Amino acid sequence: MIGNALLPLLEISPEFSRLAELMLAVAIALPLLLALAMLLRPVRRIMPHLLFLAPAPALVAALAVPRGMTMLVAPDPFRFILALDTPGALLLGGAALLWMMAGAFAAAYLRKDPARSAFAVWWLLAMAGSFAVFLVADVVSFYLAYALASFSAFGLVTHDDTPGARRAGNLYLALTVLGEGFLIAAFVMLASGMPDANPLIRDAVAALPASPAQGLIIALLLLGFTMKMGLFPLHVWMPLAHSVAPVPGSAVLSGIVVKAGVIGLLRFLPEGVALPGWGMVLCVFGLFTAFYGVAIGFTQKHPKRALAYSTVSQMGFVGAIFGAGIMAGRMDAFSFTAFYAMNHMLLKGAMFLAVGLALASGQRRRALGTLIAIVLGLSLAGLPFTGGALAKYAAKMLLPGGVIEFLIALSAAGTTLLMARYAVLVAKSDVAGAPQRGLLLPACALTVLALVVPYILFSPVTGLPLSAAFTPDALLKGSWPVLLGLVLFAALRLSRLSVHLPEVPAGDLWLVVSRLERPVRAMQVQAVTVDGYLRQWPVAGFALLGLTALLAAVAWAA
Amino acid sequence: MNALTILAVTVPFLGLVPLFLLGPRAGERAGLLMLAVAAGVSLAVGLCVVRTGQPQVYFSGGIAPPLGIALRADGFAAAMMGVCAVVLLFTGFYAMRQPGGAEARMPPAFFMLLLALAGALNLAFMAQDLFTLYVALELLTFAAVPLVCLDGKVEQLKAALTYLLFALFGSVLYLLGAVLIYGLYGTLDIGLVAAALVPHPPEWTFAVALALISAGLMAKAALFPLYLWLPPAHAGAPPAASVVLSAVVIKAPLFLLVRTWADLAPDALAVAAAPVLAVCGAGAILFCGVLALAQVRVKLLIAYSTAAQIGYLGLMFPLAATGDAYLSALAWTGGTLHLASHAFSKAAMFMAAGLLAETLGHDRLSGLRGAARVAPLSIAAFGIGGLSLMGLPPSGGFVAKVMLLTSALRQEIWWIALVVLAGGLLAGGYVLRVVVLALQRAEGEGPQGRECRWRAAIALMLALGAVALGFVPLAPLSFLSIGRHLSLEGLLP
Repeated sequence: MIGNALLPLLEISPEFSRLAELMLAVAIALPLLLALAMLLRPVRRIMPHLLFLAPAPALVAALAVPRGMTMLVAPDPFRFILALDTPGALLLGGAALLWMMAGAFAAAYLRKDPARSAFAVWWLLAMAGSFAVFLVADVVSFYLAYALASFSAFGLVTHDDTPGARRAGNLYLALTVLGEGFLIAAFVMLASGMPDANPLIRDAVAALPASPAQGLIIALLLLGFTMKMGLFPLHVWMPLAHSVAPVPGSAVLSGIVVKAGVIGLLRFLPEGVALPGWGMVLCVFGLFTAFYGVAIGFTQKHPKRALAYSTVSQMGFVGAIFGAGIMAGRMDAFSFTAFYAMNHMLLKGAMFLAVGLALASGQRRRALGTLIAIVLGLSLAGLPFTGGALAKYAAKMLLPGGVIEFLIALSAAGTTLLMARYAVLVAKSDVAGAPQRGLLLPACALTVLALVVPYILFSPVTGLPLSAAFTPDALLKGSWPVLLGLVLFAALRLSRLSVHLPEVPAGDLWLVVSRLERPVRAMQVQAVTVDGYLRQWPVAGFALLGLTALLAAVAWAA
Repeated sequence: MNALTILAVTVPFLGLVPLFLLGPRAGERAGLLMLAVAAGVSLAVGLCVVRTGQPQVYFSGGIAPPLGIALRADGFAAAMMGVCAVVLLFTGFYAMRQPGGAEARMPPAFFMLLLALAGALNLAFMAQDLFTLYVALELLTFAAVPLVCLDGKVEQLKAALTYLLFALFGSVLYLLGAVLIYGLYGTLDIGLVAAALVPHPPEWTFAVALALISAGLMAKAALFPLYLWLPPAHAGAPPAASVVLSAVVIKAPLFLLVRTWADLAPDALAVAAAPVLAVCGAGAILFCGVLALAQVRVKLLIAYSTAAQIGYLGLMFPLAATGDAYLSALAWTGGTLHLASHAFSKAAMFMAAGLLAETLGHDRLSGLRGAARVAPLSIAAFGIGGLSLMGLPPSGGFVAKVMLLTSALRQEIWWIALVVLAGGLLAGGYVLRVVVLALQRAEGEGPQGRECRWRAAIALMLALGAVALGFVPLAPLSFLSIGRHLSLEGLLP
């Protein structure tokens, strides 16, 4: 990559090395400082228009900082260590591009929104958190960055403050708090065998295979991270949140925030150690999610909800390939998974912007939005010669063959089906009011980037020449699922089945689980009753004496 | 000998005198000045402990126990003194009248009570014999009870009476225990009693005495299931009074509970009693946490949260009672850090709740929508203080939680780890409930009015104090081991 080309330069110039180190810290610090600057009234007015500039240092860092660069921001014992490796750089660069374009889009999209400065604050905080999550190298800082990214995303979800947005925000928050609970337990167990209280993630994970609590730790990590990724059955927050967030918010939520879960898996599962059992679990859940997302998503009647389920399905795909990779203990599983995740990041971001373009503009724009949707959809499905095909080609190298490979290929047919549905929904979407200025450029730019960037990165990441992805065999393997998907879609259209298909309410499983609300409330009422009982004088008096007797008894027995 | 320790007790009490003589306006200023001086002395004691690496000791009249009375500030005591002094001082400023304004926010008695609390707390943290400690506890109760009913409303008086009576029961039990110990060993000095216990195993009456003392302290600290007085008292008091009641007053009996089992009781007894204390703590965290979720008023929610957060100290006992010095010290540091960060964050939250109530005219959760517009700083203080309760980084609560979890998981006491985790979830529930509601837009007009900015800034500063504690390294703190029998050599960073 470009970074490695600069390595000789590093030896000549220590100043450049310092500068590169500094860039890692600036990438995180700039959005934070801008968020802080929002306390000043004049800054508040112009900030929405500056959002697209905030990711610039992160982009520079991803491009120019050599891999393997580590930077100690704060010395022992307050460790805050940043490092850049290939998966981190891929995701950081992709995220920076998406934040940039979505930021420009948001400035135009929220032009008349009275609460746009509050949106900008959440936006900047989530941005800082997401960059940090790709860069930090020690366990405690990772937890901090992960929490920052997760909790700030709440503000993006609930920006419109409709009843639906409130409901989705509450569910998102509840699951986030729960996920943080899983992760802190896992991290503490992970770190507890180390001499350092706050070890480097790398060192802690290297000791994981020898840990007696290995199974429990991995289970907790998977629970925490797949919840953020939206793997079945922990995906319920995603469709609810995505359908209510403003368009640029959905774009970064689906594109970037869910990738915090991906980088978590990449960072915290051991490299080069085969984990057949856990790899299989991840792979199976991922595969199921990939198809489940398509099935539910196909019934949706709003393009953003269809996209949300597409993200669920795609993250299932990511889980499946990564699971397959660690089943065999493959070292390249990490960079290939990150490559695919970055591909999805840009594509999904652009798809959401396309919906925004179609919804907020006139007739002609809607046609353009539809065209963009079709192109992006085909790329996501992996049609040969698109950028997505390259990412898929790399991902498939991780697969062991047999049933898993066939199912993964088949999932591309599902993706095609869902993407066709999405394109139709965009084409049919209601046009609201006059066209808005300033949306076209960022949406188109991101589309182009999403299609081109995988071409640039394919060889550096995989070490293969581009031509490897264009062998007849590869072309055939890439085309048949897309064709199958299109045929299926046509058949469904002709049979008019898709019209009569009832829409599965967004959040599917959650509607079942939320029935539990009533017993939970009843429990709370009971707790209040018990509270009233415990706080009566005679009861409290007996408790006091009983406690004395109990303490005396146990102390005497000792 | 260090005279600063005795000054830390006497300065606040002497500072009371001018308040009787001056008028309300001058009295307020004098009270604040004396609080600042007292805080300076407390912090200076801490500084001496750090500089010398030794506990600071003072014998009254130069006579050593058992004849004289000893004051001794070790690392643990100095830490608590520092935290409490800072919170008291900030509360004083929070309760001050508007600069240039004519109307007093709190009656002059409030500042006297704050000074009395400062003296009583320092005495409770430093006294070495059971009787002086008894005096300190009584002083504390008698300064705290009037704070509850400062406005003289009927509910406040009822709450104060309940508090007084229950604390009185606690005192009776405590005194009974102290008398038993005097009868057994002829001395009340904790160190001498502990030394007398070394050659002879304790008799059963000693076990009873310990039980009486700890039950009395638990009643005063409102540890589950003895919390009947806490919610009405802490939620009903005027805001500035709630701050000190929740943040510092209950810390003294908790501190003494720790000293009872760590310094007075032989290890075997402490190990035996630890599970009982831990179960009480777990009950507090889980049960009072659920109740906090069920509240419909912000102040009651915070009060139940206090009742829940006390429980973490109960969980510390079995973790600290282990033979592994490192894990014991880690639990010890975690528990102390929790006490300290809870003091800061709870003070910030009660201050914020008071400002919210002033701005909105009520503190019902149902009417909280739109509050972030009219009181942004207060909501920020509430949320940032809440970080620590939820155990999210960066905050002292996070570091404390990680330490307790590490200690529990490495000793494989799974149930304690689960309670700590569940406590974090419940705290997340009740803190976020308030913040999320406040961030939502109000239907229709929405609340009007404006928060008092400089007072909200005070709350915010305390909340940031809890955040600052999050930068303590994740290892046993050597400062806390100064003057304690914990041997931490070789463990410290």
